[in-house]
Amino acid sequence: MNYVLAGYAVTFGALGLYALRVVLRGRALRRVLAPVPPVDGEEHG
Amino acid sequence: MTAPATSSRTAPGAPASGDGAPASARFRSVPRWVTPALGVGALVASAAAVVQGLVVMGPTTNQGEYSRLLVVHPPVATVSYVAFGVTAAASLLYLIPRTRARAWDQLAGASAEVGVVFTVLTLVTGSIWGHSTWGVWWTWDARLTASALLLALFLGYLALRRVPAEETVRAKRCAVAALIAVVDVPIDHYATSWWRTLHQGSSISLTQPDKHVDSAHAVGLLLGFVAMALAYAWLVTQRYRVERLEARYEEEGLSLALDARKAEGGVTAPTGPSDATGPSDATGTSGDPPVGALSGERP
Repeated sequence: MNYVLAGYAVTFGALGLYALRVVLRGRALRRVLAPVPPVDGEEHG
Repeated sequence: MTAPATSSRTAPGAPASGDGAPASARFRSVPRWVTPALGVGALVASAAAVVQGLVVMGPTTNQGEYSRLLVVHPPVATVSYVAFGVTAAASLLYLIPRTRARAWDQLAGASAEVGVVFTVLTLVTGSIWGHSTWGVWWTWDARLTASALLLALFLGYLALRRVPAEETVRAKRCAVAALIAVVDVPIDHYATSWWRTLHQGSSISLTQPDKHVDSAHAVGLLLGFVAMALAYAWLVTQRYRVERLEARYEEEGLSLALDARKAEGGVTAPTGPSDATGPSDATGTSGDPPVGALSGERP
């Protein structure tokens, strides 16, 4: 059962960490490019 | 410096007067509620899949507790195929002159990176499952080898994207590489049918009634697929935006950094043509807007 839990933890943990990395990278880039702010000023798709 | 004329539906980082491409227009027209909905949906479906896999589903006679990995392993493997399929489709659209747009190249790169993450998870969860059922963490089985090759191919693809080159040359080169690499996807999928492998074939089949699992495992598998599909959709959307921001940063970043340094030093620097000319847009051959169109007025 420990290996099963490890499988779940690795899967969802890795996806969570990767998602965090992508979001932080996006925020950092937006901050750098801040002199050209979007008109509505918020993230949306 | 004025803001670009972005519409209220324009994603941050998207060029104001886009690539003139159908792809970018389509991405920009995605309603604002879609991305948060994908994220929330992925979280809810993931929670439901974990509860189903660890609490509701019971151990099976053949595989015991390890059958619970059915909720994560097949879904991440399938989503990795989908991700590389999207990369290949976007690459093909980039290579066709009529549909060529920078957005397709950016989508291909975003999907490939997410696909690599899912492929790594496929190998890790498969290794855990293999350790229990085969007694080894790894064996050079056809399915496993094809999966490892898939990972190597798309890691190479991602490395190729970072090789410095003129924008259109780099994009075409990567598109061709993606179309070559994606050939391994069907090989990986059908490896269990084409060769005698340790890895089992599919657990369920719509056309073969003898291949089925009990309802609890079927629901767990379905929840796993929904969770991973939503997670992929959310991740690739976010990663695509980062690709666009990175492209904009490459075009504008140097100018912005110079402006910041000049502001710090209180130096009024002369402006010149080089200030607003990006490496790939100078020729106007990439189909992308000139830098001036992205940033509006420049100092």
